[in-house]
Amino acid sequence: MKRIIIDAEKCDGCKNCSIACMEAHRDQRGGGLYTVDLLDPAIESRNVIVLDRKGAYTPIFCRHCDEPECVLACMSGAMHRDKESGHIMYDEERCAACFMCVMNCPYGVLKPDRATGTRVIKCDFCANDNDEPNCVNSCPKRAIFIEEVV
Amino acid sequence: MRHVIIGAGPAGINAAKTIRGMRPDDEIVVISKDKYVHSRCMLHKYISGERNERTVDFADENFFETERIEWKSEVAVTGIDAAGKKIICDKGDMTYDKLLIATGADSVIPPIGAMRAAPNVFGLRNLDDAQKIRGLAANAKKVVIVGAGLVGMDAAYALLELGKTVSVVEMMTCVMAINMDAYAAGAYQKRFEDAGCSFYLGKKVCGTGTSGDLVTSIELESGESLECDMVIVAVGVRPSVGFLAGSGIEVERSVKVDAHLRTNDPDVYAAGDAAGLSGIWPNAVKQGVTAAKNMCGENVTYDDIYALKNTVNFFGLATLSIGINAPEDGDHVEIREDRRNYKRVIMRNKTVKGILLQGDIRYSGFWQHLVKNEINVSDIKKSVFDITYGDFYGVDARGQYEWRVSA
Ligand SMILES: Cc1cc2nc3c(=O)[nH]c(=O)nc-3n(C[C@H](O)[C@H](O)[C@H](O)COP(=O)(O)OP(=O)(O)OC[C@H]3O[C@@H](n4cnc5c(N)ncnc54)[C@H](O)[C@@H]3O)c2cc1C
Repeated sequence: MKRIIIDAEKCDGCKNCSIACMEAHRDQRGGGLYTVDLLDPAIESRNVIVLDRKGAYTPIFCRHCDEPECVLACMSGAMHRDKESGHIMYDEERCAACFMCVMNCPYGVLKPDRATGTRVIKCDFCANDNDEPNCVNSCPKRAIFIEEVV
Repeated sequence: MRHVIIGAGPAGINAAKTIRGMRPDDEIVVISKDKYVHSRCMLHKYISGERNERTVDFADENFFETERIEWKSEVAVTGIDAAGKKIICDKGDMTYDKLLIATGADSVIPPIGAMRAAPNVFGLRNLDDAQKIRGLAANAKKVVIVGAGLVGMDAAYALLELGKTVSVVEMMTCVMAINMDAYAAGAYQKRFEDAGCSFYLGKKVCGTGTSGDLVTSIELESGESLECDMVIVAVGVRPSVGFLAGSGIEVERSVKVDAHLRTNDPDVYAAGDAAGLSGIWPNAVKQGVTAAKNMCGENVTYDDIYALKNTVNFFGLATLSIGINAPEDGDHVEIREDRRNYKRVIMRNKTVKGILLQGDIRYSGFWQHLVKNEINVSDIKKSVFDITYGDFYGVDARGQYEWRVSA
Protein backbone atom coordinates (compact mmCIF):
# COMPACT_ATOMS: atom_id res chain seq x y z
CA MET A 1 0.00 0.00 0.00
CA LYS A 2 1.12 3.56 -0.71
CA ARG A 3 1.28 5.80 2.32
CA ILE A 4 1.97 9.50 2.69
CA ILE A 5 5.10 9.50 4.85
CA ILE A 6 5.58 12.52 7.07
CA ASP A 7 8.89 14.08 8.03
CA ALA A 8 7.62 16.60 10.55
CA GLU A 9 11.09 18.07 11.08
CA LYS A 10 10.99 19.42 7.54
CA CYS A 11 7.53 20.96 7.81
CA ASP A 12 7.58 24.74 8.03
CA GLY A 13 3.84 25.07 8.47
CA CYS A 14 3.12 26.81 5.15
CA LYS A 15 -0.24 24.99 4.77
CA ASN A 16 0.21 24.47 1.06
CA CYS A 17 -0.88 20.88 1.67
CA SER A 18 -4.18 22.01 3.16
CA ILE A 19 -4.97 24.38 0.31
CA ALA A 20 -3.94 21.71 -2.18
CA CYS A 21 -6.36 19.32 -0.50
CA MET A 22 -9.15 21.86 -0.83
CA GLU A 23 -8.27 22.33 -4.47
CA ALA A 24 -8.41 18.60 -5.06
CA HIS A 25 -11.90 18.38 -3.58
CA ARG A 26 -13.65 21.15 -5.46
CA ASP A 27 -15.80 20.41 -8.47
CA GLN A 28 -13.90 22.64 -10.87
CA ARG A 29 -10.35 21.40 -11.13
CA GLY A 30 -7.48 23.44 -12.52
CA GLY A 31 -6.61 27.06 -11.95
CA GLY A 32 -4.08 26.37 -9.23
CA LEU A 33 -3.95 27.05 -5.52
CA TYR A 34 -4.47 30.78 -5.91
CA THR A 35 -8.00 30.34 -7.20
CA VAL A 36 -9.14 28.24 -4.23
CA ASP A 37 -11.86 29.91 -2.16
CA LEU A 38 -10.44 29.36 1.31
CA LEU A 39 -13.78 30.14 2.91
CA ASP A 40 -15.79 27.64 0.88
CA PRO A 41 -17.11 25.19 3.50
CA ALA A 42 -17.82 22.61 0.82
CA ILE A 43 -14.15 21.89 0.17
CA GLU A 44 -12.66 21.50 3.62
CA SER A 45 -9.14 20.17 3.82
CA ARG A 46 -8.68 16.53 4.81
CA ASN A 47 -5.37 17.35 6.46
CA VAL A 48 -4.36 19.90 9.06
CA ILE A 49 -1.18 21.18 10.63
CA VAL A 50 -1.29 21.91 14.35
CA LEU A 51 1.29 23.12 16.83
CA ASP A 52 2.50 20.71 19.47
CA ARG A 53 3.09 21.74 23.06
CA LYS A 54 6.48 23.19 22.18
CA GLY A 55 5.23 25.13 19.17
CA ALA A 56 6.55 22.71 16.53
CA TYR A 57 4.47 21.93 13.41
CA THR A 58 2.81 18.53 13.41
CA PRO A 59 1.18 17.59 10.10
CA ILE A 60 -1.93 15.49 10.75
CA PHE A 61 -2.83 13.31 7.78
CA CYS A 62 -4.95 10.17 7.57
CA ARG A 63 -2.63 7.15 7.93
CA HIS A 64 -4.91 4.66 6.17
CA CYS A 65 -4.01 2.61 9.23
CA ASP A 66 -2.94 -1.01 9.37
CA GLU A 67 -5.62 -1.48 12.05
CA PRO A 68 -8.18 1.11 11.00
CA GLU A 69 -10.22 2.05 14.06
CA CYS A 70 -12.61 4.06 11.88
CA VAL A 71 -13.50 0.94 9.91
CA LEU A 72 -13.90 -1.16 13.06
CA ALA A 73 -16.25 1.48 14.47
CA CYS A 74 -18.35 1.97 11.35
CA MET A 75 -21.90 0.64 11.72
CA SER A 76 -23.04 1.28 8.16
CA GLY A 77 -20.26 -0.20 6.04
CA ALA A 78 -19.30 3.27 4.75
CA MET A 79 -15.70 3.03 5.95
CA HIS A 80 -13.88 0.20 4.25
CA ARG A 81 -10.52 -0.85 2.96
CA ASP A 82 -10.26 -0.73 -0.81
CA LYS A 83 -9.12 -4.18 -1.87
CA GLU A 84 -6.94 -2.91 -4.70
CA SER A 85 -5.18 0.11 -3.26
CA GLY A 86 -5.33 -0.91 0.40
CA HIS A 87 -6.52 2.58 1.28
CA ILE A 88 -9.33 3.25 3.69
CA MET A 89 -12.16 4.71 1.68
CA TYR A 90 -15.39 6.39 2.70
CA ASP A 91 -18.67 5.83 0.91
CA GLU A 92 -20.86 8.83 1.54
CA GLU A 93 -23.93 7.03 0.20
CA ARG A 94 -23.77 4.35 2.88
CA CYS A 95 -22.82 6.66 5.76
CA ALA A 96 -25.45 7.20 8.45
CA ALA A 97 -23.60 10.15 10.02
CA CYS A 98 -23.32 8.56 13.46
CA PHE A 99 -19.75 9.87 13.78
CA MET A 100 -18.47 6.81 15.63
CA CYS A 101 -15.48 6.95 13.26
CA VAL A 102 -14.73 10.50 14.35
CA MET A 103 -14.68 9.38 17.97
CA ASN A 104 -12.60 6.28 17.33
CA CYS A 105 -9.82 7.73 15.19
CA PRO A 106 -6.99 7.67 17.76
CA TYR A 107 -5.27 10.62 16.13
CA GLY A 108 -8.29 12.85 15.73
CA VAL A 109 -7.95 13.09 11.97
CA LEU A 110 -11.62 12.69 11.06
CA LYS A 111 -14.36 15.29 11.31
CA PRO A 112 -17.98 15.85 10.34
CA ASP A 113 -18.26 18.21 7.41
CA ARG A 114 -18.88 21.82 8.26
CA ALA A 115 -21.32 22.58 5.48
CA THR A 116 -23.99 19.98 6.25
CA GLY A 117 -22.93 17.97 9.32
CA THR A 118 -24.12 14.85 7.50
CA ARG A 119 -20.93 13.34 6.18
CA VAL A 120 -17.36 12.69 7.20
CA ILE A 121 -14.32 14.46 5.80
CA LYS A 122 -11.74 11.80 5.04
CA CYS A 123 -8.60 11.54 2.89
CA ASP A 124 -9.34 9.60 -0.31
CA PHE A 125 -5.71 9.65 -1.48
CA CYS A 126 -6.94 11.78 -4.40
CA ALA A 127 -8.29 8.53 -5.80
CA ASN A 128 -9.91 10.28 -8.76
CA ASP A 129 -6.61 11.71 -9.94
CA ASN A 130 -4.02 9.80 -11.91
CA ASP A 131 -1.27 11.62 -10.13
CA GLU A 132 0.08 11.54 -6.58
CA PRO A 133 -2.12 13.12 -3.91
CA ASN A 134 -2.33 16.85 -4.41
CA CYS A 135 -0.95 17.61 -0.93
CA VAL A 136 2.23 15.68 -1.69
CA ASN A 137 2.68 17.48 -5.01
CA SER A 138 2.31 20.86 -3.37
CA CYS A 139 4.71 20.48 -0.44
CA PRO A 140 7.72 22.73 -1.10
CA LYS A 141 9.85 21.02 1.58
CA ARG A 142 9.19 17.39 0.75
CA ALA A 143 8.00 16.99 4.32
CA ILE A 144 5.38 14.62 2.93
CA PHE A 145 6.13 12.03 0.29
CA ILE A 146 4.78 8.72 -0.95
CA GLU A 147 6.27 5.40 0.00
CA GLU A 148 5.14 1.86 -0.57
CA VAL A 149 4.70 0.20 2.84
CA VAL A 150 4.21 -3.50 3.43
CA MET B 1 -12.43 -27.51 10.45
CA ARG B 2 -16.04 -26.37 10.73
CA HIS B 3 -16.62 -22.99 12.38
CA VAL B 4 -20.19 -22.12 13.28
CA ILE B 5 -21.17 -18.61 14.27
CA ILE B 6 -24.55 -17.87 15.78
CA GLY B 7 -25.50 -14.30 14.96
CA ALA B 8 -25.12 -12.04 11.92
CA GLY B 9 -24.52 -8.79 13.78
CA PRO B 10 -21.20 -6.94 13.86
CA ALA B 11 -19.56 -9.54 16.12
CA GLY B 12 -20.65 -12.51 14.00
CA ILE B 13 -19.99 -10.97 10.58
CA ASN B 14 -16.55 -9.67 11.52
CA ALA B 15 -15.65 -13.00 13.10
CA ALA B 16 -16.63 -14.83 9.90
CA LYS B 17 -14.61 -12.40 7.78
CA THR B 18 -11.58 -12.78 10.05
CA ILE B 19 -11.73 -16.59 10.00
CA ARG B 20 -11.96 -16.59 6.21
CA GLY B 21 -8.93 -14.31 6.03
CA MET B 22 -6.90 -16.71 8.16
CA ARG B 23 -8.30 -20.04 6.96
CA PRO B 24 -9.02 -20.08 3.22
CA ASP B 25 -10.19 -23.70 3.28
CA ASP B 26 -12.14 -24.03 6.51
CA GLU B 27 -15.88 -24.38 6.50
CA ILE B 28 -17.72 -21.36 7.93
CA VAL B 29 -21.42 -21.26 8.76
CA VAL B 30 -23.34 -18.24 10.06
CA ILE B 31 -26.77 -18.80 11.57
CA SER B 32 -29.21 -15.97 12.21
CA LYS B 33 -32.82 -15.48 13.08
CA ASP B 34 -32.59 -12.35 10.98
CA LYS B 35 -33.69 -12.56 7.39
CA TYR B 36 -31.52 -9.56 6.45
CA VAL B 37 -28.12 -8.61 7.75
CA HIS B 38 -28.69 -5.22 9.30
CA SER B 39 -27.20 -2.54 11.48
CA ARG B 40 -29.34 -1.97 14.52
CA CYS B 41 -27.95 1.53 14.76
CA MET B 42 -29.82 2.42 11.57
CA LEU B 43 -33.22 0.96 12.47
CA HIS B 44 -34.66 4.41 13.14
CA LYS B 45 -33.80 5.33 9.56
CA TYR B 46 -35.70 2.27 8.39
CA ILE B 47 -38.78 3.30 10.38
CA SER B 48 -38.61 6.85 9.05
CA GLY B 49 -38.37 5.52 5.50
CA GLU B 50 -34.89 6.93 4.83
CA ARG B 51 -33.53 3.40 4.35
CA ASN B 52 -34.85 0.04 3.24
CA GLU B 53 -33.93 -3.61 3.96
CA ARG B 54 -31.01 -3.35 1.58
CA THR B 55 -29.59 -0.05 2.78
CA VAL B 56 -29.56 -0.99 6.47
CA ASP B 57 -27.07 -3.75 5.56
CA PHE B 58 -23.58 -3.01 6.88
CA ALA B 59 -21.69 -5.95 5.36
CA ASP B 60 -19.67 -5.79 2.17
CA GLU B 61 -21.62 -6.36 -1.01
CA ASN B 62 -22.23 -10.08 -1.72
CA PHE B 63 -20.41 -10.79 1.53
CA PHE B 64 -21.38 -14.43 1.96
CA GLU B 65 -20.68 -15.40 -1.66
CA THR B 66 -17.39 -13.55 -1.88
CA GLU B 67 -16.12 -14.93 1.41
CA ARG B 68 -17.56 -18.39 0.73
CA ILE B 69 -19.55 -18.46 3.94
CA GLU B 70 -22.72 -20.48 4.31
CA TRP B 71 -25.45 -18.30 5.75
CA LYS B 72 -28.46 -19.96 7.34
CA SER B 73 -30.88 -17.08 7.70
CA GLU B 74 -34.23 -17.24 9.45
CA VAL B 75 -32.98 -20.13 11.52
CA ALA B 76 -33.32 -19.94 15.31
CA VAL B 77 -30.97 -21.83 17.58
CA THR B 78 -32.95 -23.28 20.46
CA GLY B 79 -30.23 -25.19 22.28
CA ILE B 80 -26.60 -26.29 22.36
CA ASP B 81 -25.13 -29.61 23.42
CA ALA B 82 -21.54 -28.64 24.12
CA ALA B 83 -20.48 -32.18 25.08
CA GLY B 84 -21.80 -33.52 21.78
CA LYS B 85 -20.70 -30.41 19.79
CA LYS B 86 -24.24 -30.07 18.53
CA ILE B 87 -26.43 -27.08 17.76
CA ILE B 88 -30.15 -27.57 18.04
CA CYS B 89 -32.17 -25.40 15.66
CA ASP B 90 -35.82 -24.98 14.80
CA LYS B 91 -34.96 -26.21 11.29
CA GLY B 92 -32.74 -29.20 12.08
CA ASP B 93 -29.57 -29.84 14.08
CA MET B 94 -25.97 -29.08 13.15
CA THR B 95 -22.51 -29.92 14.36
CA TYR B 96 -19.46 -27.72 14.89
CA ASP B 97 -15.77 -27.95 15.67
CA LYS B 98 -15.53 -24.36 16.90
CA LEU B 99 -18.53 -22.31 17.94
CA LEU B 100 -19.00 -18.58 18.39
CA ILE B 101 -22.00 -17.24 20.26
CA ALA B 102 -22.70 -13.75 18.91
CA THR B 103 -26.42 -13.56 19.56
CA GLY B 104 -26.50 -9.98 20.81
CA ALA B 105 -29.25 -8.93 23.18
CA ASP B 106 -33.02 -8.73 23.42
CA SER B 107 -35.22 -5.80 24.41
CA VAL B 108 -36.58 -5.92 27.92
CA ILE B 109 -40.31 -5.24 28.18
CA PRO B 110 -41.24 -4.79 31.84
CA PRO B 111 -44.29 -6.63 33.14
CA ILE B 112 -46.38 -3.50 33.59
CA GLY B 113 -50.08 -3.76 32.77
CA ALA B 114 -50.64 -5.34 29.35
CA MET B 115 -47.26 -4.30 27.94
CA ARG B 116 -45.82 -7.75 27.42
CA ALA B 117 -48.80 -9.26 25.64
CA ALA B 118 -50.22 -6.37 23.63
CA PRO B 119 -49.66 -6.53 19.85
CA ASN B 120 -49.14 -2.77 19.63
CA VAL B 121 -46.24 -2.64 22.10
CA PHE B 122 -42.73 -3.11 20.67
CA GLY B 123 -39.12 -3.11 21.60
CA LEU B 124 -36.65 -1.74 19.05
CA ARG B 125 -33.82 -4.19 18.54
CA ASN B 126 -34.32 -6.14 15.34
CA LEU B 127 -35.30 -5.25 11.82
CA ASP B 128 -38.56 -7.12 12.30
CA ASP B 129 -39.38 -4.82 15.23
CA ALA B 130 -38.78 -1.87 12.92
CA GLN B 131 -40.89 -3.50 10.20
CA LYS B 132 -43.79 -4.00 12.58
CA ILE B 133 -43.46 -0.45 13.90
CA ARG B 134 -43.41 0.96 10.38
CA GLY B 135 -46.38 -1.20 9.45
CA LEU B 136 -48.51 -0.12 12.39
CA ALA B 137 -47.36 3.49 12.12
CA ALA B 138 -49.31 3.81 8.88
CA ASN B 139 -52.52 3.94 10.88
CA ALA B 140 -51.29 5.18 14.23
CA LYS B 141 -51.50 8.81 15.27
CA LYS B 142 -50.23 8.86 18.83
CA VAL B 143 -47.14 7.02 19.94
CA VAL B 144 -45.75 6.76 23.46
CA ILE B 145 -42.10 5.93 23.90
CA VAL B 146 -40.96 4.59 27.25
CA GLY B 147 -37.31 5.41 27.88
CA ALA B 148 -35.31 8.39 26.64
CA GLY B 149 -31.95 6.67 26.23
CA LEU B 150 -30.30 6.45 22.82
CA VAL B 151 -32.69 3.80 21.53
CA GLY B 152 -35.79 5.63 22.78
CA MET B 153 -34.58 8.86 21.18
CA ASP B 154 -33.87 7.00 17.93
CA ALA B 155 -37.46 5.76 17.98
CA ALA B 156 -38.84 9.20 18.83
CA TYR B 157 -36.85 10.76 16.00
CA ALA B 158 -38.15 8.23 13.47
CA LEU B 159 -41.79 8.64 14.46
CA LEU B 160 -41.55 12.43 14.46
CA GLU B 161 -40.18 12.15 10.92
CA LEU B 162 -43.33 10.20 10.05
CA GLY B 163 -45.46 13.01 11.45
CA LYS B 164 -46.75 11.15 14.50
CA THR B 165 -47.67 12.74 17.81
CA VAL B 166 -44.89 11.46 20.03
CA SER B 167 -44.67 11.47 23.84
CA VAL B 168 -41.58 10.22 25.63
CA VAL B 169 -41.67 9.06 29.25
CA GLU B 170 -38.44 8.83 31.21
CA MET B 171 -37.64 8.13 34.86
CA MET B 172 -34.49 10.27 34.84
CA THR B 173 -34.86 14.02 34.85
CA CYS B 174 -33.20 14.54 31.46
CA VAL B 175 -32.95 12.69 28.18
CA MET B 176 -29.95 10.45 27.38
CA ALA B 177 -28.85 10.86 31.00
CA ILE B 178 -26.23 8.12 30.72
CA ASN B 179 -24.53 9.81 27.81
CA MET B 180 -24.45 13.48 28.71
CA ASP B 181 -25.16 16.07 31.38
CA ALA B 182 -28.48 17.84 31.80
CA TYR B 183 -27.30 20.91 29.93
CA ALA B 184 -26.24 19.04 26.80
CA ALA B 185 -29.36 16.88 27.04
CA GLY B 186 -31.48 20.02 27.18
CA ALA B 187 -30.24 21.05 23.75
CA TYR B 188 -31.64 17.82 22.29
CA GLN B 189 -34.86 18.02 24.28
CA LYS B 190 -35.46 21.48 22.83
CA ARG B 191 -34.87 20.28 19.26
CA PHE B 192 -37.21 17.33 19.74
CA GLU B 193 -39.85 19.60 21.29
CA ASP B 194 -39.52 22.00 18.37
CA ALA B 195 -40.28 18.99 16.15
CA GLY B 196 -43.46 18.35 18.13
CA CYS B 197 -42.33 15.85 20.77
CA SER B 198 -43.63 15.99 24.37
CA PHE B 199 -41.51 14.80 27.26
CA TYR B 200 -42.58 13.42 30.62
CA LEU B 201 -39.31 13.44 32.53
CA GLY B 202 -38.72 12.19 36.05
CA LYS B 203 -41.90 10.14 35.67
CA LYS B 204 -42.64 6.49 36.07
CA VAL B 205 -45.00 4.27 34.12
CA CYS B 206 -47.28 2.32 36.45
CA GLY B 207 -49.95 0.82 34.23
CA THR B 208 -51.73 0.60 30.92
CA GLY B 209 -55.24 1.27 29.72
CA THR B 210 -56.52 -1.31 27.26
CA SER B 211 -59.18 -1.94 24.71
CA GLY B 212 -59.31 -5.62 23.82
CA ASP B 213 -55.68 -6.75 23.35
CA LEU B 214 -54.44 -3.27 22.59
CA VAL B 215 -52.80 -0.80 24.91
CA THR B 216 -54.67 2.47 24.45
CA SER B 217 -53.04 4.52 27.19
CA ILE B 218 -49.93 4.62 29.32
CA GLU B 219 -50.57 5.53 32.95
CA LEU B 220 -48.01 7.46 34.96
CA GLU B 221 -47.51 7.44 38.72
CA SER B 222 -48.11 11.18 38.60
CA GLY B 223 -51.70 10.42 37.66
CA GLU B 224 -51.27 11.51 34.07
CA SER B 225 -52.61 9.29 31.32
CA LEU B 226 -51.13 9.33 27.82
CA GLU B 227 -53.40 8.11 25.05
CA CYS B 228 -51.69 6.02 22.40
CA ASP B 229 -52.15 3.85 19.33
CA MET B 230 -48.70 2.31 19.69
CA VAL B 231 -46.02 1.99 22.40
CA ILE B 232 -42.28 1.55 21.99
CA VAL B 233 -40.41 0.35 25.05
CA ALA B 234 -36.73 1.24 25.21
CA VAL B 235 -35.75 0.67 28.81
CA GLY B 236 -32.84 -1.67 28.29
CA VAL B 237 -31.64 -4.96 26.89
CA ARG B 238 -30.68 -8.37 28.20
CA PRO B 239 -27.98 -10.55 26.60
CA SER B 240 -29.62 -13.11 24.34
CA VAL B 241 -28.53 -16.32 26.08
CA GLY B 242 -31.74 -18.12 27.01
CA PHE B 243 -31.07 -20.95 24.55
CA LEU B 244 -27.92 -21.90 26.48
CA ALA B 245 -29.82 -23.30 29.48
CA GLY B 246 -28.65 -26.87 30.02
CA SER B 247 -26.01 -26.62 27.28
CA GLY B 248 -22.99 -27.08 29.51
CA ILE B 249 -21.85 -23.55 28.68
CA GLU B 250 -21.62 -21.30 31.71
CA VAL B 251 -23.96 -18.35 31.72
CA GLU B 252 -24.58 -15.63 34.24
CA ARG B 253 -26.40 -12.53 33.02
CA SER B 254 -24.40 -13.05 29.83
CA VAL B 255 -22.15 -15.79 28.48
CA LYS B 256 -19.16 -16.11 30.80
CA VAL B 257 -15.89 -15.57 28.94
CA ASP B 258 -12.21 -15.23 29.82
CA ALA B 259 -9.81 -12.66 28.39
CA HIS B 260 -9.60 -14.75 25.20
CA LEU B 261 -13.41 -14.59 24.92
CA ARG B 262 -13.46 -18.34 25.47
CA THR B 263 -16.23 -19.92 27.53
CA ASN B 264 -15.75 -22.79 29.99
CA ASP B 265 -15.78 -25.05 26.93
CA PRO B 266 -12.47 -24.67 25.06
CA ASP B 267 -14.16 -24.87 21.65
CA VAL B 268 -16.88 -22.34 22.38
CA TYR B 269 -16.41 -18.56 22.32
CA ALA B 270 -18.67 -15.56 22.76
CA ALA B 271 -18.46 -12.00 21.43
CA GLY B 272 -20.53 -8.84 21.26
CA ASP B 273 -23.49 -7.92 23.42
CA ALA B 274 -24.02 -11.60 24.32
CA ALA B 275 -20.67 -11.65 26.12
CA GLY B 276 -21.81 -8.82 28.37
CA LEU B 277 -18.59 -6.81 28.19
CA SER B 278 -20.14 -3.92 26.26
CA GLY B 279 -23.28 -2.82 24.46
CA ILE B 280 -21.82 -0.82 21.60
CA TRP B 281 -20.91 -1.50 18.01
CA PRO B 282 -17.14 -0.93 17.85
CA ASN B 283 -16.55 -3.26 20.77
CA ALA B 284 -18.73 -5.98 19.25
CA VAL B 285 -16.62 -5.78 16.09
CA LYS B 286 -13.34 -6.05 17.96
CA GLN B 287 -14.58 -8.92 20.08
CA GLY B 288 -15.69 -10.76 16.96
CA VAL B 289 -12.24 -10.33 15.45
CA THR B 290 -10.48 -11.41 18.66
CA ALA B 291 -12.63 -14.50 19.16
CA ALA B 292 -12.13 -15.48 15.53
CA LYS B 293 -8.35 -15.33 15.81
CA ASN B 294 -8.48 -17.58 18.85
CA MET B 295 -10.82 -19.97 17.06
CA CYS B 296 -8.10 -20.26 14.43
CA GLY B 297 -5.52 -21.18 17.03
CA GLU B 298 -3.99 -17.79 17.81
CA ASN B 299 -3.59 -16.66 21.35
CA VAL B 300 -4.88 -13.09 21.62
CA THR B 301 -6.67 -11.34 24.43
CA TYR B 302 -9.43 -8.79 24.11
CA ASP B 303 -7.81 -5.66 25.48
CA ASP B 304 -9.79 -2.70 24.24
CA ILE B 305 -12.45 -3.15 26.87
CA TYR B 306 -13.23 0.54 27.23
CA ALA B 307 -16.92 0.99 26.52
CA LEU B 308 -17.80 4.33 28.12
CA LYS B 309 -18.08 6.16 24.85
CA ASN B 310 -20.74 7.25 22.44
CA THR B 311 -21.71 9.73 19.81
CA VAL B 312 -25.16 11.17 19.23
CA ASN B 313 -26.37 13.05 16.20
CA PHE B 314 -29.94 14.32 15.96
CA PHE B 315 -31.30 17.29 14.05
CA GLY B 316 -27.81 18.33 12.98
CA LEU B 317 -26.46 18.54 16.53
CA ALA B 318 -23.58 16.17 17.27
CA THR B 319 -22.38 15.14 20.73
CA LEU B 320 -19.47 13.00 21.74
CA SER B 321 -18.97 11.70 25.24
CA ILE B 322 -16.15 9.58 26.56
CA GLY B 323 -15.57 8.47 30.11
CA ILE B 324 -17.50 9.30 33.23
CA ASN B 325 -20.49 11.58 33.00
CA ALA B 326 -20.99 12.53 36.65
CA PRO B 327 -18.13 14.19 38.52
CA GLU B 328 -17.24 12.82 41.93
CA ASP B 329 -16.07 14.71 45.02
CA GLY B 330 -12.67 16.20 44.37
CA ASP B 331 -12.95 16.10 40.59
CA HIS B 332 -12.31 19.32 38.75
CA VAL B 333 -14.85 20.32 36.12
CA GLU B 334 -14.18 22.83 33.36
CA ILE B 335 -16.66 24.15 30.86
CA ARG B 336 -16.18 26.10 27.67
CA GLU B 337 -19.15 27.39 25.80
CA ASP B 338 -20.11 29.64 22.93
CA ARG B 339 -23.18 30.11 20.80
CA ARG B 340 -22.76 26.81 18.97
CA ASN B 341 -20.66 24.69 21.29
CA TYR B 342 -20.71 23.24 24.74
CA LYS B 343 -17.68 21.41 26.07
CA ARG B 344 -17.18 19.91 29.50
CA VAL B 345 -14.18 18.10 30.88
CA ILE B 346 -13.94 16.20 34.17
CA MET B 347 -10.38 16.11 35.52
CA ARG B 348 -9.14 13.83 38.29
CA ASN B 349 -5.61 14.23 39.56
CA LYS B 350 -3.71 14.90 36.36
CA THR B 351 -5.89 12.95 33.99
CA VAL B 352 -9.07 13.46 32.00
CA LYS B 353 -11.81 11.19 33.37
CA GLY B 354 -14.55 12.41 31.09
CA ILE B 355 -15.00 14.61 28.06
CA LEU B 356 -18.24 15.87 26.60
CA LEU B 357 -18.26 17.81 23.33
CA GLN B 358 -21.44 19.16 21.79
CA GLY B 359 -21.53 21.04 18.51
CA ASP B 360 -18.12 20.96 16.92
CA ILE B 361 -16.66 17.48 17.34
CA ARG B 362 -13.99 17.82 14.68
CA TYR B 363 -10.58 16.25 15.34
CA SER B 364 -11.85 14.78 18.63
CA GLY B 365 -10.95 11.09 18.29
CA PHE B 366 -7.74 11.40 20.30
CA TRP B 367 -9.72 12.06 23.50
CA GLN B 368 -10.62 8.40 23.77
CA HIS B 369 -6.96 7.45 23.96
CA LEU B 370 -6.31 10.12 26.59
CA VAL B 371 -9.23 9.07 28.76
CA LYS B 372 -8.97 5.30 28.56
CA ASN B 373 -5.22 5.28 29.13
CA GLU B 374 -5.42 7.87 31.94
CA ILE B 375 -2.67 9.93 30.37
CA ASN B 376 -1.13 12.68 32.45
CA VAL B 377 -1.92 16.02 30.81
CA SER B 378 -0.66 18.30 33.58
CA ASP B 379 2.57 19.08 31.76
CA ILE B 380 0.75 20.62 28.78
CA LYS B 381 0.67 24.32 29.47
CA LYS B 382 -2.53 25.33 27.76
CA SER B 383 -6.25 24.98 28.33
CA VAL B 384 -7.22 21.32 28.37
CA PHE B 385 -9.74 22.12 25.63
CA ASP B 386 -6.91 23.10 23.30
CA ILE B 387 -5.08 19.79 23.56
CA THR B 388 -4.78 17.93 20.25
CA TYR B 389 -3.10 14.75 19.09
CA GLY B 390 -0.23 17.05 18.03
CA ASP B 391 0.77 17.24 21.70
CA PHE B 392 1.55 13.51 21.63
CA TYR B 393 2.77 13.37 18.06
CA GLY B 394 5.05 10.65 16.78
CA VAL B 395 5.57 8.79 13.52
CA ASP B 396 7.05 5.29 13.32
CA ALA B 397 9.26 3.80 10.61
CA ARG B 398 6.28 2.68 8.53
CA GLY B 399 4.60 6.04 8.73
CA GLN B 400 1.98 5.02 11.30
CA TYR B 401 1.32 7.53 14.02
CA GLU B 402 2.18 6.57 17.56
CA TRP B 403 1.51 8.16 20.92
CA ARG B 404 4.48 9.81 22.60
CA VAL B 405 3.60 10.16 26.24
CA SER B 406 6.01 11.47 28.84
CA ALA B 407 6.27 9.38 31.99
C1 LIG C 1 -31.91 1.01 17.99
C2 LIG C 1 -30.45 0.79 18.34
C3 LIG C 1 -29.52 1.80 18.11
C4 LIG C 1 -28.18 1.61 18.40
N1 LIG C 1 -27.30 2.62 18.15
C5 LIG C 1 -25.99 2.44 18.40
C6 LIG C 1 -25.05 3.47 18.11
O1 LIG C 1 -25.38 4.55 17.61
N2 LIG C 1 -23.73 3.23 18.39
C7 LIG C 1 -23.32 2.04 18.91
O2 LIG C 1 -22.12 1.86 19.12
N3 LIG C 1 -24.20 1.06 19.19
C8 LIG C 1 -25.51 1.23 18.96
N4 LIG C 1 -26.39 0.21 19.25
C9 LIG C 1 -25.88 -1.03 19.83
C10 LIG C 1 -25.33 -1.97 18.77
O3 LIG C 1 -26.25 -2.10 17.74
C11 LIG C 1 -25.00 -3.31 19.40
O4 LIG C 1 -24.02 -3.13 20.40
C12 LIG C 1 -24.48 -4.32 18.37
O5 LIG C 1 -25.41 -4.55 17.35
C13 LIG C 1 -24.11 -5.63 19.05
O6 LIG C 1 -23.65 -6.51 18.08
P1 LIG C 1 -23.70 -8.11 18.24
O7 LIG C 1 -23.01 -8.66 17.05
O8 LIG C 1 -23.22 -8.48 19.58
O9 LIG C 1 -25.25 -8.50 18.23
P2 LIG C 1 -26.50 -8.08 17.33
O10 LIG C 1 -26.17 -6.97 16.42
O11 LIG C 1 -27.62 -7.89 18.29
O12 LIG C 1 -26.77 -9.37 16.44
C14 LIG C 1 -27.23 -10.56 17.01
C15 LIG C 1 -27.45 -11.59 15.94
O13 LIG C 1 -27.75 -12.84 16.54
C16 LIG C 1 -28.90 -13.42 15.94
N5 LIG C 1 -29.53 -14.28 16.95
C17 LIG C 1 -29.84 -13.97 18.23
N6 LIG C 1 -30.35 -15.04 18.85
C18 LIG C 1 -30.36 -16.05 17.96
C19 LIG C 1 -30.76 -17.41 17.99
N7 LIG C 1 -31.25 -17.96 19.11
N8 LIG C 1 -30.66 -18.15 16.86
C20 LIG C 1 -30.15 -17.61 15.71
N9 LIG C 1 -29.75 -16.33 15.64
C21 LIG C 1 -29.85 -15.57 16.74
C22 LIG C 1 -29.72 -12.23 15.50
O14 LIG C 1 -30.61 -12.61 14.48
C23 LIG C 1 -28.60 -11.31 15.00
O15 LIG C 1 -28.23 -11.65 13.70
C24 LIG C 1 -27.75 0.38 18.96
C25 LIG C 1 -28.68 -0.63 19.20
C26 LIG C 1 -30.02 -0.44 18.90
C27 LIG C 1 -30.98 -1.55 19.16
